[in-house]
Amino acid sequence: MSGDRAVVGQNLRKVDGVKLVTGRPAFTDDIHLPGMLIGKILPSPHAHARIKRIDTGKARALPGVHAVLTYKDVPRVPHTTAGQAWPEPSPYDTYLLDNKVRFVGDRVAAVAAETRAIAEKALRLIEVEYEVLPAVLEIEQAMASGVAVIHDEPDSTKIFDREHNIAGYILREIGNVEEGFRASDLIFEREFRTGRQQHCPLEPHVAIAWLDADQRLVIRTSTQVPYHARRQVAMILQIPVSRVHVIKPRIGGGFGGKQEMLLEDITGALALATKRPVKIEFTREEEFYMARSRHPQILRMKMGVKRDGTIVASQLTVLATTGAYGSHSTTVQGNTGSKVLPLYRAEHMRFECHVVYTNTPVAGAFRGYGCPQGFFAQETLVDEIAEELGRDPVEFRRQNMIRLGDIDKLSAQLGEGKEGLPRHIRSCGLPECLDRAAAAVDWDGKRNAAGGPAHLKRGVGMAATMQGSGIAGVDWASAFLKMNEDGSFFLQVGAADVGAGADTVLAQIAAETLGVSLDKVVITSGDTDITPFDVGAYASSTTIISGGAVRKAAEKVRAHVLDMAAKMLDAPVDKLECGDNQVYTICECRKAVSMAELAMHAMYKEKTQIMDGASHFNTDSPPPFCVTFAEVEVDTETGKVRVLHLVTAVDPGTAINPMQAEGQVEGAVAQGLGYALIEELLLDGQGRPRNASFLDYKIFSAKDMPRLTTILVETDEPLGPFGAKSISEVPINGPAPAIANAIYHAVGIRLRKLPIRPEDVLRELREKLPTL
Amino acid sequence: MFDLVEAFHRPSSIREALRLLHAGGRRARIVAGGTDVVVRADPEIRSLVDITRLGLTYIKRSGGAWAIGATTTMAQIEHSAALRALAGGILVEAAKGCGSVQLRNMATLGGNLANASPAADTAAPLLVLDAQVVVAGERSRRTLALADFFLKPGETALGKALLVEILIPAPPRGARTAWSFQKLGRTESDISVVNAAAGLQVDGKGVCKWCRIALGAVAPVPLRARAAEALVTGRKLDGSLVEQAAAEAAREASPITDIRATAEYRREMCRVLVKRALAECAARAGCSL
Repeated sequence: MSGDRAVVGQNLRKVDGVKLVTGRPAFTDDIHLPGMLIGKILPSPHAHARIKRIDTGKARALPGVHAVLTYKDVPRVPHTTAGQAWPEPSPYDTYLLDNKVRFVGDRVAAVAAETRAIAEKALRLIEVEYEVLPAVLEIEQAMASGVAVIHDEPDSTKIFDREHNIAGYILREIGNVEEGFRASDLIFEREFRTGRQQHCPLEPHVAIAWLDADQRLVIRTSTQVPYHARRQVAMILQIPVSRVHVIKPRIGGGFGGKQEMLLEDITGALALATKRPVKIEFTREEEFYMARSRHPQILRMKMGVKRDGTIVASQLTVLATTGAYGSHSTTVQGNTGSKVLPLYRAEHMRFECHVVYTNTPVAGAFRGYGCPQGFFAQETLVDEIAEELGRDPVEFRRQNMIRLGDIDKLSAQLGEGKEGLPRHIRSCGLPECLDRAAAAVDWDGKRNAAGGPAHLKRGVGMAATMQGSGIAGVDWASAFLKMNEDGSFFLQVGAADVGAGADTVLAQIAAETLGVSLDKVVITSGDTDITPFDVGAYASSTTIISGGAVRKAAEKVRAHVLDMAAKMLDAPVDKLECGDNQVYTICECRKAVSMAELAMHAMYKEKTQIMDGASHFNTDSPPPFCVTFAEVEVDTETGKVRVLHLVTAVDPGTAINPMQAEGQVEGAVAQGLGYALIEELLLDGQGRPRNASFLDYKIFSAKDMPRLTTILVETDEPLGPFGAKSISEVPINGPAPAIANAIYHAVGIRLRKLPIRPEDVLRELREKLPTL
Repeated sequence: MFDLVEAFHRPSSIREALRLLHAGGRRARIVAGGTDVVVRADPEIRSLVDITRLGLTYIKRSGGAWAIGATTTMAQIEHSAALRALAGGILVEAAKGCGSVQLRNMATLGGNLANASPAADTAAPLLVLDAQVVVAGERSRRTLALADFFLKPGETALGKALLVEILIPAPPRGARTAWSFQKLGRTESDISVVNAAAGLQVDGKGVCKWCRIALGAVAPVPLRARAAEALVTGRKLDGSLVEQAAAEAAREASPITDIRATAEYRREMCRVLVKRALAECAARAGCSL
């Protein structure tokens, strides 16, 4: 597909790569401002308590302390920390500081001091008297009558049913599932459970705030959502948006955890209070339990099928917890239904979900955004159904899966916190993904050769998944381009490259459109004073939505360039073409002008700045498709599951930069592998974290990675720039169900709880084979 | 992390190191690779005594015996061709599995032992090798068996003395001598959930003449499974004996439940790993089970 393209589709190096690998000061924490103070937050030691008395006198008196803030010192503005487009669909149930704490780690007070040691000492000097309240820790308890009400404050809004701790509720149905089950020959129903995974970004949350010479509040922060953060901070601190300047430098990974206004408000409040620069950086421990995590869910999945293999009805009923605050509560859970069920063309579909508050760490956006949970349930159940029908899992899926030309009606009912838009499938590489991935793992050979010698049993399993590309009708972005004297272009985008390579991809789209090489595009991104608006880096939206804006802006600028060239070359515009850093005629006369000459002419002869901008949104969210095949080896004596080979085939539309796209797949697979087998933040009986460190919360490293095969199956998506959809999220969904299915193939046990720990495998094995 | 630390000392002699350690009292801490001290970041610490310049980084061989300096790193052990030849390379294997490359470049053998974690990876193979530790006090040196060195989690018989050397007496040799190290972790560079080491020697008829079995992460200290050893010694090695010995070793363990595993799982894995270690030894010694 990239045959006649010079920049798009090429494996070009990341535009920010050199400064990253050479350790240039590019990240939030790489600057040190004169007089900068260190901020620290006093975390609640209780899962649920009211602050009866708080005395900051001793802390304030400590030399080197410049401010101590409690709920008494700051405006009380209900808000959500979810970095979503206004009006956010998440409940407004959070306060800068409150007189009630709702999880271990909730904000009690904040301090700014000369050094971290002084700040920490000051925290210890704050005297707090708590009225400890009964805590709701178990997800199944939350809605019961008589349990503590977590959000009993009267001023929070958009909570579905505060008396029963229900942050949000979703019920959507197409067709009539009861009728569908009656019409089915076989009905399958199973319960699944998923764990609380943490993002574990290399760079924890960090923000530095200061007042500039004009007394405007500047916040340099590790965020995926600079524009949302600006709007939210202005609202919470009650200052005009025009008095806030948010800068997103290079980011060391977000994975959704930074689609959140998490430190910007409190750092800003401390800067306003002290008139000094203030930095707050989470320690790794704080990052684990004071930042965000993936929503744990209990899923009940029911499917009805005909004997011929047709899936007639599918129903998913979910109980999820959002933790103490409702950040991304209904939207993540909405995805669990809307992006999962429509993968198969059941006539009848029903999705119901309660999202409950508990006194546990707050869940939020996390790569996959509700899909890893849903696909774990669906793809494991579908494997079981195929087995029961005596069908090959690949062929069974092929019979039922969504295809080109289909319209997904569930999406129409389940939008971002409101009615959505129907999803039309205009590109679909699923069949080819299945073919190529099955071949790569030797599916037919290995399916018939399960087992192995002694205690090591091998098996293969697979899963099919999809995602979206931006939120239909909600996500939008803009871009601005201007030409310089040397024929280069400055590209300004609000898009937030968080390490995934957005700057490179967007610059490639501009360069391709303008007919210049990539080095002729200099990109600036994610600075609210300099770049135009963008919702930010989430929902797999940047390539398709921000890229769409760049494409439009570049087309406009290209038209200006051609107009200028037409004058200079005395040729009609329709006989001109851009390419190789010049404009040339496509008629016999073979005339050309370089971009540099053209720029000098425009600026100093015509006195015209060649520049333009554009905004872009889509009313549809084309799904990228993905299949994951896993080969595993199960140690039947230890219960350890070793993944030998993971094959991922993805249809991302056009891969603007295939090398980066593959990197995104491999990163998602590594995180999906951890979700499947080891990653889970655990709490004790008081709601305190038990494993808030990398000693106790393990993630897989290079040494643990199985052999990876990554296959890009490119399609041409009409709604995307140069045919692109998205890639960064979808591959995280497959590893857990593919591995669970491979374990079944190897040893005949079904694991329905994540992560799949050796002890659980061993227990299931013993139940199946008591002699073992 | 160490905001309250007032002094970082770099002595060049054992005597000076000991003097600084004593002067610092209970607020002084020895540091070598720092992979435990830095991670723990004990706020009580006011002075750190770096012992990496005392000349204690070496691997020496005299006859069949070995002496390893306390500050020899895991990486140096891992890459020592000579140590690979010692006891089927079980010490090398254990060092190799100790954290990541970066950690192994810093972490020291002495630190791994003096930290007294029941899960210390090198402890089990060293117990199997009847290793001794050389401890330097202000006035004298003494040598004690590694088995007597560990008292409880985080506590050793060291007192205010300095662990300077690990001695490995000449182990049994020959074609009918074999060794094995087994480790179960959550990831490839994880601390052990359970580990086990074994060494044995059989005669021409397959009768076990000498046996050592050691366990890690299943008791307050790294442990010799003496009852299991006694069961094997003097008897002909076969599958049933291996099973019995593994079960006996599991009985000798007194594991706890923690974030990494339950006590029941650890005890069971103790059995599995000892069985695998003995089976591997048997195979290497040419016995068919």
